[in-house]
Amino acid sequence: MKQKFMTWVKSRLAVMGYALPLVVLSIICGLSTVGAEEKVPVFPQSTYDAYIIYQNLAIFWIFILGLIIIILMKLREIERTQKLGADNDNEDAPRLE
Amino acid sequence: MNYPRLKHWLEERYDLTDVRKFAKSKLIPEHRYDFLYYTGGITLFLFIIQFISGMLLAFYYVPHIDHAYKSIIDIVTKINMGWFFRSFHHWGAQLAILFLFIHLFGTLLVKAYRKPREMIWVTGFVLLIISIFFGLSGYLLLWDERAFAAVRVATGGAGALPVIGEFIKIFLRGGTEVTGETIVRFYAFHVAILPLITLCIIGLHVLLVQYHGVSVPTSLEKNKTSAVPFFPNVFYKDMIIWLIVLGVVVTLAVLLPPEIGIQADPLAPPPENIKPEWYFLCVLETLKLFPGEILGLNGETIAILCVSTGILFLFLIPFFARKANRGKKSPLFTSIAVVYVVYFVTMTVIGFLS
Amino acid sequence: MKLKYSLISRRTFLNTLFGSWLFALFSGSFYALIKFAFPTVGKEPDFVVLKLKDYVDIPNNSVKPFTWGNVLGLYLKKEDGSIMALKGVCTHMECNVAYKPDEKKFYCACHQGWFDDTGQNIAGPPPRPLETFDVIVEGEKLIIAKKGVQVELPKA
Repeated sequence: MKQKFMTWVKSRLAVMGYALPLVVLSIICGLSTVGAEEKVPVFPQSTYDAYIIYQNLAIFWIFILGLIIIILMKLREIERTQKLGADNDNEDAPRLE
Repeated sequence: MNYPRLKHWLEERYDLTDVRKFAKSKLIPEHRYDFLYYTGGITLFLFIIQFISGMLLAFYYVPHIDHAYKSIIDIVTKINMGWFFRSFHHWGAQLAILFLFIHLFGTLLVKAYRKPREMIWVTGFVLLIISIFFGLSGYLLLWDERAFAAVRVATGGAGALPVIGEFIKIFLRGGTEVTGETIVRFYAFHVAILPLITLCIIGLHVLLVQYHGVSVPTSLEKNKTSAVPFFPNVFYKDMIIWLIVLGVVVTLAVLLPPEIGIQADPLAPPPENIKPEWYFLCVLETLKLFPGEILGLNGETIAILCVSTGILFLFLIPFFARKANRGKKSPLFTSIAVVYVVYFVTMTVIGFLS
Repeated sequence: MKLKYSLISRRTFLNTLFGSWLFALFSGSFYALIKFAFPTVGKEPDFVVLKLKDYVDIPNNSVKPFTWGNVLGLYLKKEDGSIMALKGVCTHMECNVAYKPDEKKFYCACHQGWFDDTGQNIAGPPPRPLETFDVIVEGEKLIIAKKGVQVELPKA
């Protein structure tokens, strides 16, 4: 019985160990915002604008990643031709165009 | 993607064979530390985006004590995309200075500054100092309480230098105190004087790197390392990294737009727990280590002299590292470099946490 | 006829893809830059807040101007005491209009355009009626708002 109680206390303490710093942290954060009355809105306030912005950010990243993939493909192609020794452009060689 | 007519037009007028040959023959060595070669490129890229976003912000900013703060609020709240470009400029600056430090410490650790590349180190170091002044002057333009306090402390610190200190302080502040004059002065520095000097020195720095070629660490110099052509291999790798950096700056700008404090009031007490930008923390924490009075002398003056000596030694390090200049291993200067890096990182972290 | 090999080499394909992708990314970024660099125009306020006591006592059949963003707004008290607010900018060539109490009409002197006291274009070149606003009274405040806009006053 006593042992059970002790484990319960210990488990509570463990929870406290996690919770206490969090509580203190949130109090500190809360206090730091008390003094600052009315912050300047540095980000568009309406949720619709914010949604559009996040969407654009995602599209931007898709474009960047796509370009990176294309560059990597190009690099592989370049390295392949370099291995073949075909990169030394022969100016006199007949061309297709 | 070939434009035979354009190519023809150019080739009729300019002999491009040399350029093409140069681009192909320029080789970049490949080795364990070759990622350090990219840090310089990243810094250059960040400078470019700072130039572009800065030019646009200058359309809207009003460098006058009565309008400076309000004009930035207007940029953030009223102008199309204004909030984004201010944030973008802020984060670009943060990352530019971060990568400058990484570039500097990387160079320091592999001793790429050794003969014959002393001048590359010197120009790079000057660029770092200019960039820090860029950061300080740009920060004041916001004219909120934090900016006001930061500039007061920084220019006041310069004032503690013996003999020339007072002169520098008054010159920077445009008077004995931080006032509206200081805004105009810092604006001139930030948008006209520093960019021009920076452009010239970057040009010189890059030109010197071209002239000497990139350095290979002493330990790897003997065994022939493989090399790849700059164009196209390294060029495309550079491009990938630049794209990622651009993405990171944009993401930071969107997710973490910097706060704007209350308008600066020269008569109000500074806000609690005020901290300067992170790149000043190292110096600030060092100054805190010194007591107010040492052997009857002003502690602050001694502290600033010590810090200045430390910076000056770092600035002139290629001229002290004799052994490295002869191409020999120099454990002493490696350990000095490690001490500098560890000290800088520790003090910055301490400053950040305290 | 089926070709055994493609006439487009792998290199050409990749170069074209690379070029157009880069162009797309650049133009997207450039669009954002231009949007910021180009002056922000036509951004009208959603509402303006005026002092009620300045406007409540004006005589019947008269107007009092207020600033709507950067242009003229007109606060009109009609003959019967009813109230309305409208943008005092002619819909034809953007001249400011004036109220003619005798005729109970708005008149644009630039091209002799006429609007009646509800803002309808009745004579002359104006193609559309004047823009009218909602008028809301809140305590000491007189709020002129764009039609259909939810007014959220900043907390004082």
